[in-house]
Amino acid sequence: MDETKRKIGKACRKFDEGKMTRRSFLTKLAALGVTAAVANAVSLSPFGAATAWASISGPEERAWALAKEAAAKASKKTLTLLIPTGSIGNMTPYVDKWKNELGIQLEFIEEPDEVVHTKGMQEAVAKTGRYDVMMPTAMSYPDWIDSGVIYDLTDWTDKYQPDLFNKQWGVVFPASHHAQLYNGRVAGLLNDGDQITLLCRSDYLQDPEKMKAFEDKYGYKLDVPHTWKEYYNLAQFMHDPAKGFYGSLEYRSPYYVKWMFMQRLVSKGKLYFDADMNPTFNSEEGVAALEDMLAMNAYLHPDAFSFTWSSNYNAFGRGEGFMNIVWPSGFKYSMAPSTGPATTGKIAATVMPADTLKDGTKLYAGLFCWGYGYAVSRYSANPELAYAYSQWMTSPTISADAIPYLGGYSDPYRVNHMLEPTERLVATYTKPYLKTLYDNMVNTVPDFCLPGGFEYQDALDKQVHACMTGEKKPKEALEAAAHSFERITKRIGKDKVRKSWLTLAKNLAEPIKKASGADTWPDA
Amino acid sequence: MLSKKLTLFQAALLAAALAVVLFPVFWILMTAIKPPTDWNASPAIWMPSQPTLVNFKTLFDPDALKEYGVGGVSQSATKAVIGSLLASITATTLSVLIGLFAAIGISRYGAENKSTPLVILSGRMFPPAAIAVPFVIIFSNIGLTDSYVGLIAIYVAATLPFSTWMLKSFVDDLPREIEEAAMIDGKSRIKAHLTVTIPLIRGGLFATTMFIFILNWSEFMFALVLSYSNVSTIPVQLAKYVTATAGTLYGVQAALAVLAMVPLVIVGYLIQGHLARGMTFGAIKQ
Repeated sequence: MDETKRKIGKACRKFDEGKMTRRSFLTKLAALGVTAAVANAVSLSPFGAATAWASISGPEERAWALAKEAAAKASKKTLTLLIPTGSIGNMTPYVDKWKNELGIQLEFIEEPDEVVHTKGMQEAVAKTGRYDVMMPTAMSYPDWIDSGVIYDLTDWTDKYQPDLFNKQWGVVFPASHHAQLYNGRVAGLLNDGDQITLLCRSDYLQDPEKMKAFEDKYGYKLDVPHTWKEYYNLAQFMHDPAKGFYGSLEYRSPYYVKWMFMQRLVSKGKLYFDADMNPTFNSEEGVAALEDMLAMNAYLHPDAFSFTWSSNYNAFGRGEGFMNIVWPSGFKYSMAPSTGPATTGKIAATVMPADTLKDGTKLYAGLFCWGYGYAVSRYSANPELAYAYSQWMTSPTISADAIPYLGGYSDPYRVNHMLEPTERLVATYTKPYLKTLYDNMVNTVPDFCLPGGFEYQDALDKQVHACMTGEKKPKEALEAAAHSFERITKRIGKDKVRKSWLTLAKNLAEPIKKASGADTWPDA
Repeated sequence: MLSKKLTLFQAALLAAALAVVLFPVFWILMTAIKPPTDWNASPAIWMPSQPTLVNFKTLFDPDALKEYGVGGVSQSATKAVIGSLLASITATTLSVLIGLFAAIGISRYGAENKSTPLVILSGRMFPPAAIAVPFVIIFSNIGLTDSYVGLIAIYVAATLPFSTWMLKSFVDDLPREIEEAAMIDGKSRIKAHLTVTIPLIRGGLFATTMFIFILNWSEFMFALVLSYSNVSTIPVQLAKYVTATAGTLYGVQAALAVLAMVPLVIVGYLIQGHLARGMTFGAIKQ
């Protein structure tokens, strides 16, 4: 191993000195057992191959060394993972390596994604020790940490350095904080950059007739929308129900509709609570967000009220709409001929639109919603091995290799995935879209990653949906949601939730903190 | 039996009712034989242009859908089908057997304590979600989570109030003088019940068995919370047919649903005569 490392180091130095072509360098590294993804990332690094190799492979190597040590000591030679159904494709390519080189069998217990959180809470009381690694969304961490079912990983991350916050290959800020930390401590390692971005049909944007008609009608050039107003105009202009083509496919269905509201709310510079845990959405901005959504209903796909992510992606892929608000997987769907027969090669993606604040400034905000990660079960027989697996799989190098595999939910989340992508990442997402993901992620606000997070979201979802179906007026729906929020906060304990909220709000993009006033909030 | 010709209006009403009732069955059957491209098509495809058995094949060979470009199916339904059969048949047998003797006991010998049947029924007064977590804690302490023994035990516990109450009403409607006559003829109490009571309520017994079997066969929550990897049942497996590349696998779910209907249809057909009698048994009170 040391000899191999020495040879890799030597090849890197030769490549940096220009004594080796890129092709020979890649061939040499491949011969030395370096994965194509790593070799490619190293060869493209602006810091030089030697520096890049030493740094970027560090988290993977440290995790592997720990895994070898822990595997040798482990009495139980199986590592069991609780994972959401449909996510296995990013993990299966490494099963043989763990079996052959470490003697560790990876066992996957798949559960429907909506019950993974419940299964974790169940394990907190049942303490079966059946799981070693658990794969929840970021919103589960507070409840799971508080219930004692998962480890606080901070001691391990301090010791084994997964480079979570590195500027070149760390997890993109602020997701690095809101999708991995709870009260400033590491609760899980992110493995899925779930954020929503906006997709448009580029063939319609480039249609000369439409370009002219649009400019004549609205007085500005046809382009992807940069503001919510432009988004509305585009939906209105492109909406052609007689031809089965709709302005947008955004969600109005239960469970999904809250995200459409949360996205618009943060675009208006409002977070979900103020510094004292009072809900802030039952406000002028919240009502305006709901009214915007009600106005958009006229230009939505008729199935908007029943869409799940897969039926939404399929409808867009069949060419039934001009715009769609999707997770990165939606872009992959639209790109693939099998799932996007009408959209392949016809997608223009952009960050979520901005809104204009009262002072006239434009605020770009994104929403980081869902986002799976690895957590280590407190009742695991081999917690160090479980941690090693988590760090290894999420290391800058292995994760870049794992994400492009089909049949998994993983999407880019580290800086190197988006700004120094491997060839396979580019082939899967395209370079412009990876850049869009980065530009959007730096402005993201998270889900309710707080104690009782799922309860808050469900309460909000119920009321937003009631408003969209006409059951409640915007103000009435938001007041009802605010009332539920107050009850949830009171039951969980205001001090506890406030501490978590202030810590979370402290680590957001500066423009969002400034617009929401969070920049003046006290420390937790 | 009185026979009467239906008027046109009655026939139309009956046809409409049948259409409503049978439409979901028709839709599931059609979806089960649709290729992936037709599952979620818009406008909806009523009858598949190219019917296929690939969804059924996928249940037992997860790679079968790859010919349509759908990968990421990681689980075979074999374990779920066997698990459902094992848990449902065993739990139904035990529930009906225990419920039958409880029903005879309460009906014939439990006159002093009228609250007993209510106490038995109280087990059904809690929503399953409320008792699921306590069961998880108890079962994990005694090593019964993720085992068929545990699942069967909870199925029996959950359905016993139904089987007891249903069978009690059938026994109640049977004149006790018939059993007494058998005892006068020299039969012991137990023999009188085995040879007289039970054969005379067999319609009700079949109806109860069918009802309890349906409850167990379609149970989702307990199977979900008590299972990890060793135990699987059809309702839980249905929820797992989601992949990142194709979303919800509607066709495969429909195929498994069709498969799940088969035992119910067969058993229902075989005992339909008894079912009709069981459903109407006790309709006229003495």
